[in-house]
Amino acid sequence: MNTPIKKKSHFSLLLLWLFLLIVLFFISINAGYTDIPMKDILRILGGGGSTNENLVVFEFRLPRIIISILVGIGFSLSGCVLQGITRNPLADPGLMGINAGAGIVVVIFMTLSGTISLLGVMALPIFSFLGALLTSALLYIISTKKGYGLAPTRLILNGVAIQAGINSMMTIIVLQLDDTQYDFLAIWQAGSIYNSNWKLVLALFPWIVFGMIYLFFKSRELDLLMVGDELASGLGVAVTKEKKGLLFVAVALSAASVTVSGSLHFVGLLGPHLARRIVGARHQILLPFCAITGAILVLAADTIGRTIVAPSVIPAGIIAAILGAPYFIYLMIGNSRTKKEVRK
Amino acid sequence: MKEFKIKDLEVAYGDQTIIKQLNLEIPIGKITTIIGPNGCGKSTFLKTIGRIMKAKHGAVYLDAKDIHELSSKEFARQLAILPQSPIAPEGLTAQELVSYGRYAHQKGFGKESAKDQEIVKWALEVTNLSELSHRSVDNMSGGQRQRVWIAMALAQETEMILLDEPTTYLDVAYQLEVLELLEDLNRIYGCTIVMVLHDINLASRYADYLIALKQGKVIVEGTPREVITKEMLKEVYQIESDIVLEEQSKKPICVSYRLMNKKKLLEKELKVVG
Repeated sequence: MNTPIKKKSHFSLLLLWLFLLIVLFFISINAGYTDIPMKDILRILGGGGSTNENLVVFEFRLPRIIISILVGIGFSLSGCVLQGITRNPLADPGLMGINAGAGIVVVIFMTLSGTISLLGVMALPIFSFLGALLTSALLYIISTKKGYGLAPTRLILNGVAIQAGINSMMTIIVLQLDDTQYDFLAIWQAGSIYNSNWKLVLALFPWIVFGMIYLFFKSRELDLLMVGDELASGLGVAVTKEKKGLLFVAVALSAASVTVSGSLHFVGLLGPHLARRIVGARHQILLPFCAITGAILVLAADTIGRTIVAPSVIPAGIIAAILGAPYFIYLMIGNSRTKKEVRK
Repeated sequence: MKEFKIKDLEVAYGDQTIIKQLNLEIPIGKITTIIGPNGCGKSTFLKTIGRIMKAKHGAVYLDAKDIHELSSKEFARQLAILPQSPIAPEGLTAQELVSYGRYAHQKGFGKESAKDQEIVKWALEVTNLSELSHRSVDNMSGGQRQRVWIAMALAQETEMILLDEPTTYLDVAYQLEVLELLEDLNRIYGCTIVMVLHDINLASRYADYLIALKQGKVIVEGTPREVITKEMLKEVYQIESDIVLEEQSKKPICVSYRLMNKKKLLEKELKVVG
């Protein structure tokens, strides 16, 4: 791994990242089926837009942008925490089957009821959370080795198995469905901000905010867990209790995000990786950086996805994968190179 | 800390009992070393008295209080434990890692006080790491890294430190360096030290008190002269040996060893092959 940038510059880097997100925010409002010139955006946001402009900005683009940001934060933080407590850089809510558990509930819910009331929308994250919680409880139980506690490797392997199981269950359910419902599932599995309105923003917002606050208060514990369970326990961390709490919140963040975006979990892998390379392993700076990185990734992917072939939409998950895959290939090449240098 | 007692301890992994009916008292202000063959339960014992593992029966009492009645932080303010060869997270400097030792003394968000910084600085000085404090721990040598872990335990400001094989993977000079450091901590700061060592001669040389374990039971305990005997080595390790007193320290050392049941072992192997 490269040497992370020195601490003093972390704060300015964070501001730069935030600035990047704001720029992206304006680009995203500007771009779409009808272009809205930059100079008009502030006027419209200030309340001086025409009916048409207001419709486009406030009803279509703004909720979509906010949801992209929230979803990005949710997946990225969830991935960061899971990678931390399993001490496995490949852990993410998608790989571990947590998203699948949330997803199957959402899919059943969405296919059973065509249109959903506000109450239904607010309840959706709760149902999806229950699905995810059930999956992770199962995962937790079968990954706990008697006398040893939670075994990280088992957690990953069992997670992959559970994910595969649930995905095939989803396919079985889908085979019973009609075409429109099937289309919905295909989009959901690819990962897309398929549905955006203020109701969904309202439903998602408290989950993400609660998760963020909890994690920022636990950044010290997350740091200490990185030295391993035994040593962390010796240093005074109530390891089992903290891990349960963190797992719970990671599941909640991911489950809530899944309800509006489908399996966009690639962000949960990519966001934390990028952030770690830039600012290092200390969670006090890593967490906010992760959150913004995730938001940038999803917003960028969604903006590209809905403009590049407008009026059609490419799911954000596909764009994120197209952008992310080369990065991982680059990482692998970089790693093997540094290893060769070390050998010399 | 006035006393540290272990009563009727029984520890198990699932159905497999590792430690049975163990009663001990750790002498305060001394260096105690635990020896014994592989799989005798040394590490398990250390983890149990370090509150990492839970006992099946019996308990460990710190000043007459069951250690599991204390909170994680309360316990960590009285006792530090270093597991065998821990792994440092990537990219952390020695100073950052040592400051983790202050966790049990911090409240809430974990902001470092002036006192925290002072103690981290002291811990780095004592372990001779001041000049390396801003170096990344993953770029350090084995000996330096082990000193960082010890500095971290020191930053915890505890009266007792437990170490599981602190000399593993180190060459002879580094082994001595680590053990001398622990001896200094004991002599100068009155730190009670309990450690597991594999090397019998090093154990004899640096320990005030020795405990020999076999199959989860204490075979013999006492001063090195009382413990390092032909009989003990025969019973615990199944080896024949000659013991002499080392001239400088007047401590017993074991000068030659032979496997007792070599013939039997060979016969067994032959049977398996045949």
